[in-house]
Amino acid sequence: MKVAFLVNDLQLSGGIGVVVQHALQLARVHGFGVALVLVREQEDPHWVYEPLEHLRVLSLPQACEERFDVVIATWWETTFSLFDVPAERYAYFVQSLEDRFYKPDAAERLGAALTLDLPVAFITEASWIAETLRELRPDALCLLVRNGIDKRMFPAPERIDSHPGEPLRVLVEGNPRSWFKHVHDAIDAANAMREPHHLTVVCGDRDGLGDVVADRIVGPLTPDEMATLYGESDVLLKLSSVEGMFGPPLEAFHRGATCVTTPVTGHEEYIEHGWNALICEWDDAGGTARALDLLARDRRLLYFLRSNALHTARGWPDWHQQGALMALALRRIRDAPPPAAAAAARALTSDLAAGVNLYATHMQQRNEFERQARVVQRVRAHPVFVRARQLRDRRWARVVSWPVRRLAPGALRRLLGP
Amino acid sequence: MAAERGYDSALVTTHWQERITAGTDPSVRTEHTLRYEVAAPVVRQAATWCDLGCGTGLAAGSATDGPFEGELVLVDVDAASVTQAAAHLRADTITPLAADLNDPAGRAAVRAAVLGAAAPRAITCFEVLEHVRDLAAVVELLVELAGHATTVVLSVPNDAFWAIENPYHLTTWSAAAFTELRAMLPTGHVFAEQVPLRGSRITVQGADPDEPAGVEAHEGAVPSHFIAAFGPTAWQLRGGAAIFEADQRGERNWTQQRERDVGYLDARVGELEAGLVALRDQAAQMEQWRRYIHDLEDRLGLPRAGSAAAMANERRDGS
Repeated sequence: MKVAFLVNDLQLSGGIGVVVQHALQLARVHGFGVALVLVREQEDPHWVYEPLEHLRVLSLPQACEERFDVVIATWWETTFSLFDVPAERYAYFVQSLEDRFYKPDAAERLGAALTLDLPVAFITEASWIAETLRELRPDALCLLVRNGIDKRMFPAPERIDSHPGEPLRVLVEGNPRSWFKHVHDAIDAANAMREPHHLTVVCGDRDGLGDVVADRIVGPLTPDEMATLYGESDVLLKLSSVEGMFGPPLEAFHRGATCVTTPVTGHEEYIEHGWNALICEWDDAGGTARALDLLARDRRLLYFLRSNALHTARGWPDWHQQGALMALALRRIRDAPPPAAAAAARALTSDLAAGVNLYATHMQQRNEFERQARVVQRVRAHPVFVRARQLRDRRWARVVSWPVRRLAPGALRRLLGP
Repeated sequence: MAAERGYDSALVTTHWQERITAGTDPSVRTEHTLRYEVAAPVVRQAATWCDLGCGTGLAAGSATDGPFEGELVLVDVDAASVTQAAAHLRADTITPLAADLNDPAGRAAVRAAVLGAAAPRAITCFEVLEHVRDLAAVVELLVELAGHATTVVLSVPNDAFWAIENPYHLTTWSAAAFTELRAMLPTGHVFAEQVPLRGSRITVQGADPDEPAGVEAHEGAVPSHFIAAFGPTAWQLRGGAAIFEADQRGERNWTQQRERDVGYLDARVGELEAGLVALRDQAAQMEQWRRYIHDLEDRLGLPRAGSAAAMANERRDGS
């Protein structure tokens, strides 16, 4: 069986790591011919993942010269190239509802949402995404294949130490430029703790992180280094508002760390409040800090949560098992009839109509703002205003305008313009 | 073994009940037998019945009231078990087949044996999938056979709930993992859950038993309570039995809480013991220093530190 995964790049990221793991399992264990197709020009060198010798890395034009059994989009932008690659069937590996990565007025938000209406079969890695997709697209084949865990890279510790009297070892992880990761909120919450603690921040983007208070800032780290760091931590602090499968806490669980987290999507797959982690409220830095303080004070509770986190990890499948399910899923997609075009078109046009309405509202607002701006421009172009602007920095003019500047700071600047 | 020894040491190797035998724990044996009983209607209607992972065939007899009227294909990786199962079970024709489902040749042999026998067919595949390395290939084989007048009944254990790390299990199963598997099975498949039960039975000596059917007696069962009745209507006391679904989550939480507490205290004891060793080392070092200093004091003709003479000197110097 010949399959191709479409990717934007092969840079270090959780999403690409998952695709590479599945691709390797399919090629090594199940005898699939697997290609990773880069759908755009590459500026940065590939991240060196595990040896990719079982996989072919193709450019889009190269892939278009071949024919595959199944071609799989792995990110919403890769669907733009999906139907260019000749294949018997098309699939979409959905790792999150990616429209949520963008703020409400971002054009990408609508684009990402519309890709879920394409006539494809879906494979997803989280139960909540599978349920959502089945509601959105009851006509489409939707298969759940959770991410595995590399049990050799994230081995269980032989025992969990209690180390009473030492500071609570808190780890914050995430891309600080992703608004939905709330990395800075997590750092603030950790710093609001009253009990002794040691805060480590893992960040691949130091510029994006800016000046923060932490005992240690490290990164970017390889998965091996991340595994070591999880093993040195008591608790992973995650305050994300958008997650797909929510992998980092699961990796931390495998290394014997617990988690304090928001009830973000994906947490329900394996996190139980008071059993293997603590769930805090949204936007509650104080409450989050108190939860961490509790773990710092009550080492028996900390031990309980960490032990149960390890218990949870033991029940999670490895990549070998999940690779088998991915193989079954792709064969199922290949053998299933092609998706009904009408149902997909209905979903697409329905969402497009809603999108057009939203776009029309935005355009209406924009036109209204433009009309108001034109009035302001006309006033500012009046000779009196032009003269006033020329004179405003004179000493006598500043003395005369002092009461206005005092009562309404910035008003003159706004009125006269820069 | 534990009863003979009187103490169940944690250091004794766990006896994994991977093959159901007469000595298997009654709860495990009953669970296995029940799966065959549930599959009985499917098996009875089949002209060919293939039991994948048949073991010694102890529980499989529950799938039929008497001898199976058709061809019974017994498959297991262990040839001795297949022979034992063939001797234990009754059928018009028995085809023993020692085959490893991890091996393509083994799967091909099973496929040929099943498709070569008369339809309609039934396959029971209980507690096998967790042992196979090539899960995809075995599931594909079963799905393929289901397309040829064959009904498949399979089961996997919910290992993840108890975080059982069974060295014989190559895959881990949970509710979520089974949901994933179900998505790969033909649409319209039947889904069932096996839930452990707990129960209680009261047997009045000398009275007629009044118990629900299907309660398997266990020789040497230990009473949880003792009851006595007396007075004019005491003779009306009747035995009874009640069963209910076990609160697995509650049991797990209770058990784990106890284990974690013990684990925590164990870890603390370990740390304190390590601290004690360090303290003893320090004390020994101090003792060496003390001897050295006393030796030095003796050689210099000074009173030993801590002695009455030395303290008197200190008081005098202080004043």
